Amino acid sequence: MTEKVTRLAERLAVLLGPDAVITDPVRLRTYECDGLTNHRARPALVVLPDDGAQIAQIVRACVAAGVPYVARGSGTGLSGGALPRTDGVLIVTSRLRRILEIDIANQRAVVEPGVINLDVTRAVRPHGYYFAPDPSSQQICSVGGNVAENSGGAHCLKYGFTAHHVLSCEVVTPDGEVVELSADGPGYDLLGVFVGAEGTLGIATKVTVRLTRVPQTVQTLLAAFGSIEGGGTAVSAIIAAGVVPAAIEMMDALSIEAAEASVACGYPPGAGAVLIVELDGPQAEVEHQFAQVKALCEEAGAFEIRVAADDAARALIWKGRKSAFAAVGRISPAYLVQDGVIPRTSLPRVLARIDELSAESGVRVANVFHAGDGNLHPLVLFDDAEPGAAERAEGVSGAILDLCIEHGGSITGEHGVGVDKARYMPRMFTAADLDTMQMVRCGFDPAGLCNPGKIFPTPRLCGEVPGVRKGVHPLVEQGKADLF
Amino acid sequence: MSASDEELPKLLGDCVHCGFCLPTCPTYVLWGEEMDSPRGRIHLMQQHAEGAPLSESMVGHFDACLGCMACVTACPSGVQYDRLIEHTRAEVESEHPRPLRERALREAIFALFPYPRRLRALRGPLRLYQRARLDELVRRTGLLERISPSLAAMERLAPPLGKAPRLPERVAARGGRRATVGMLTGCVQREFFPGVNAATARVLALEGCDVVIPRTQGCCGALSLHSGREDEAKEFARRTIEAFEAVDVIVVNAAGCGSSMKEYAALLAGDPAWARRAEALSARTRDLAEYLVELGPRAERRPLPVTVAYHDACHLAHAQGVRSQPRALLAGIPGLTVREITDPDVCCGSAGVYNLLQPEAAGELGDRKAGHVRGTGAELLVAANPGCAMQIATALRRQGAEIAVAHTAEVLDASLRGLGRGALITDAP
Amino acid sequence: MKALEAVCADVRPAASGDALVAAPASVEEAAAVLRVAAEHGLAVIARGGGGRLGWGPPPSRRDLFVDTRNLDRVVEHAAGDLVVKVQAGLRMDRLAAVLAESGQRLALDAPLPAATVGGTIATGAAGPLRHLYGTPRDLVIGLTIVRADGEIARSGGKVVKNVAGYDLGRLFSGSFGTLGLIVEAAFRLHPVPAVREYLTAVYADADAAHEAVQAVLHSPAAPSAVECATIPDGIAVGVLLEGATGRAAQVLPLLGQGARVGDAAPEWWGRYPEGAVLIEVTGKPTALPDFLRAAPNLTWSACGHGYVGLAGETTPAQVADLLVALRRIGGAVVRSAPAQIRDAVDVWGPIPALSLMRRVKDQFDPEHRLSPGRFVGGI
Repeated sequence: MTEKVTRLAERLAVLLGPDAVITDPVRLRTYECDGLTNHRARPALVVLPDDGAQIAQIVRACVAAGVPYVARGSGTGLSGGALPRTDGVLIVTSRLRRILEIDIANQRAVVEPGVINLDVTRAVRPHGYYFAPDPSSQQICSVGGNVAENSGGAHCLKYGFTAHHVLSCEVVTPDGEVVELSADGPGYDLLGVFVGAEGTLGIATKVTVRLTRVPQTVQTLLAAFGSIEGGGTAVSAIIAAGVVPAAIEMMDALSIEAAEASVACGYPPGAGAVLIVELDGPQAEVEHQFAQVKALCEEAGAFEIRVAADDAARALIWKGRKSAFAAVGRISPAYLVQDGVIPRTSLPRVLARIDELSAESGVRVANVFHAGDGNLHPLVLFDDAEPGAAERAEGVSGAILDLCIEHGGSITGEHGVGVDKARYMPRMFTAADLDTMQMVRCGFDPAGLCNPGKIFPTPRLCGEVPGVRKGVHPLVEQGKADLF
Repeated sequence: MSASDEELPKLLGDCVHCGFCLPTCPTYVLWGEEMDSPRGRIHLMQQHAEGAPLSESMVGHFDACLGCMACVTACPSGVQYDRLIEHTRAEVESEHPRPLRERALREAIFALFPYPRRLRALRGPLRLYQRARLDELVRRTGLLERISPSLAAMERLAPPLGKAPRLPERVAARGGRRATVGMLTGCVQREFFPGVNAATARVLALEGCDVVIPRTQGCCGALSLHSGREDEAKEFARRTIEAFEAVDVIVVNAAGCGSSMKEYAALLAGDPAWARRAEALSARTRDLAEYLVELGPRAERRPLPVTVAYHDACHLAHAQGVRSQPRALLAGIPGLTVREITDPDVCCGSAGVYNLLQPEAAGELGDRKAGHVRGTGAELLVAANPGCAMQIATALRRQGAEIAVAHTAEVLDASLRGLGRGALITDAP
Repeated sequence: MKALEAVCADVRPAASGDALVAAPASVEEAAAVLRVAAEHGLAVIARGGGGRLGWGPPPSRRDLFVDTRNLDRVVEHAAGDLVVKVQAGLRMDRLAAVLAESGQRLALDAPLPAATVGGTIATGAAGPLRHLYGTPRDLVIGLTIVRADGEIARSGGKVVKNVAGYDLGRLFSGSFGTLGLIVEAAFRLHPVPAVREYLTAVYADADAAHEAVQAVLHSPAAPSAVECATIPDGIAVGVLLEGATGRAAQVLPLLGQGARVGDAAPEWWGRYPEGAVLIEVTGKPTALPDFLRAAPNLTWSACGHGYVGLAGETTPAQVADLLVALRRIGGAVVRSAPAQIRDAVDVWGPIPALSLMRRVKDQFDPEHRLSPGRFVGGI
């Protein structure tokens, strides 16, 4: 630990109490990564604040000491967004887990950032409401993490992402100020850019979330196809028919095999692909469209269609899908989870190309995707004990991202850029695009201490905090910029 | 049961760091610290496997684990945390010097609980416990203060079923024999909940089972096994195997005992003389509820108009996967309503001897569970493990809210014998 | 003017005579225009349909209007993907017509028919459908802008699901041309529903109307819009149900006796209230009865957003008093008003995070040449 950090640790122990400051190297190491384990960095210090006021104190202390800091919720992110800095402080929000207010009349709840996503739903369910964003990790991921990553989930096809379900946030800005950002207040929609900024624009300390009315009815079906193409055809037909399901998910043969090994979900044997389609809403509406969806699946060649008769049957259908990532661990010693997006109509071409990539490289790829919105999650399998296998897998994984960009898609649909994909950003965006995004960052965090090194491959020079100026910009004068 | 050194890297490698175990881990729920979560503990084990010494802080985090195995249920990757923590505990016991006071406490516990006769000495006004020559040790460690509130609570809250007779070696089936089963009487169960054992024997007999209760049986070794005292556990296991070798099925009414007997196969796998016998015994072990559902109901269920909260004992739900069976048995009783307790997966803090070794954490967990139990509004708490019943009853009492406590066997017994709700609950006049 | 003419074919003096109007016909031309403006230190006002150009305080300087009327192409309509990419000057009604051919729509009402896509985003404009679909910030999936220095920058893309990089689409929504010039936008689309039903009822007092609105909100009716407006006969509540089937019968009882169903919108639906002074109000859904009591003429979307209209003869003091009353209930921003009123009252009310907004503005427009003074805190 450097002298600077030692002094900061002492200061923080005074502010927060010794229990809230971790300095023991063995303990620190348990925080070295989040859900993405191939990037690791032991933080210089971990702090466990109890409330938002303490977070503001911590941030101010870090700023005063010139020490970078990173916020972490439950540590389930898959892009290394909460990867610590070896020279910095990791601020963990796991003790900020109070649901502060439930206001059903106004369809909202105020929660602390460490509250677990599913706990919000559990708390409001008796009132007939739920919190719509449902990432696969919803049983453990925190609302603060959802805000940082703009998390989606299987049902975001119909209900949108976290950004659509957050009404306002109390935020500790990178300079330690506490401000309220809201979507409908006067002025810029800073909340809109804060949500999904991967913790680079400050730390949310209170989140007001929108609650969604539990739909009158939910219908779920599982359709088994001989091949991925059949499933793809069904998806296109459903969308073309003007149906907006709550979710459309697809799994290929290899991912079905993994899920079967893990949770014995009992999907139809011999399926080359399964499609899960869920409709929800008013009864009459759902019944009408469900019949349509069933017919369209049959037309597309589904050889078996199962309709969930009750919640238990629905849970079993979803169980295979929701466990798919972790389940791949059962059929492969190691794997990479990729997250890319393509226009839905490009699905057949892109999948065919992924098959080719897999065949050319000898690297197995299992495909799980949110088919409704073209969000692919190829799982690239390899044996980490085999020399060179990890590199080959990395190669295939990267090539899949290139494929997404080629088809006008995105390098990430929900896992975020974090530290993992910063290097791919220049393939999707021009230097000017990235520079422009970083103007926001410079406005929020001119000192660059708040979760530095994430999203952007190269930091933008913020210079001094700008004010209203006349004449030549100092950066131009210093020869650091051409024109402002 | 614990992992061998060769297996360790593979078992550790199964963890993909997804964090799904975190919300089910009692200590993570309490403290919100990575090091006190299964994911964090596995990380610490990895550090140790890579050469980091077993430091005081590391051991503290392993000791804080309740061994409830909720994480095993929650893990989508199939990480065998049960084996990992048992392996780690054995390493801690052999490599890590503990301070004298702590060592004394542990010795006292393990000199006491696995021995029904010594435990008996602690019942009632404690008049006899000097005889076990434990008095000095027990007093020095404060063990007594830790146990006595639980015992006091139990004295008050045990269901008013009347005095249990000492069980004979054989109880004959009623109305046509369907099976012959062995019955484990357990240590804590036998001494503090004799009524549960009597009820178990009666229910089995009423359902058409000849019940064999070997006198030669002793402790099954559960507490030792789950605390890293592997050699001691093996010895208990061998004795239990011998005692029950003659019966086709061994029915166990204490969750911790049942789970450890099901683990004998793995525990003695490396012992050529015993491996096959252990495997056979594990395969024949059934939890009472599990067995009754397999057997199918025959005896008539008489109405019991009671609202019950069913508590999942960790060693039943997580270690043995027995969740639906007790609920089904309870729901099969006319007039009885089963209510679910919020966060059913999170341990009540009893966890074998955990409430004695880590009283603070155990107390907090007990309070949480008690709050959730109260939230159900039920009149009777049903749990299939004596430790859980004691733990939750004590916590409820601290909150000034008493609730009647019964084992699934006692509820069934009351229904089968048509005793009515008065057998389980003392209604206010 | 010469320098501008060199990069843009359509440059002319503004009607007011004291400024120029450039109407670039491509993104590149727009970028060149802004580069020239930067070189000459010109204050630039972005202009679409012009319908809301008078919203907010007038810019302190205006040397050049950049008019988007020549940027009116549909760049790409990927019907199978429910995505459209268009240029900023395209009119909302024309866009709707194009999409309707494929049975699709941008689920965003345009309260002013001649509004352009760019203007709609820049003003954050929306109508009753905001209840279910939100405002431009919720439907823009990709945005191309030209910065004050003439650089072209893009964020998002043309896929619905995308978290790569900061979402400038949301930042620019409602930024009133003070951060950059919006030149292209991609939107997610929705199918046009087969059935549309408008349920309406009129109530005598605020509490009765509020009760009806709450009953619908907390029911599983899943309406696309729930609106409320003061009309001459009382307080009207309207509910829009959309879908594949008619389901008015189940929802109608929630509105009480005298409720009706129709397949066309009532005449007050989705309009700004009459009056020379227009105040935008925001609050929690339960703020409705208080707003109704405080304001003489209100339109309200049940999700918590509305407008108050005041007659032109209202005095500045009366407006100021009303603003105080409204701000006790929620937020209130004067959108348009005669100069003597606008100059005499606090147009914006409290602005949390203003210093942060200034810092962002300073990054995008360090010389404060883009619609200067038109936004909060004189930005």
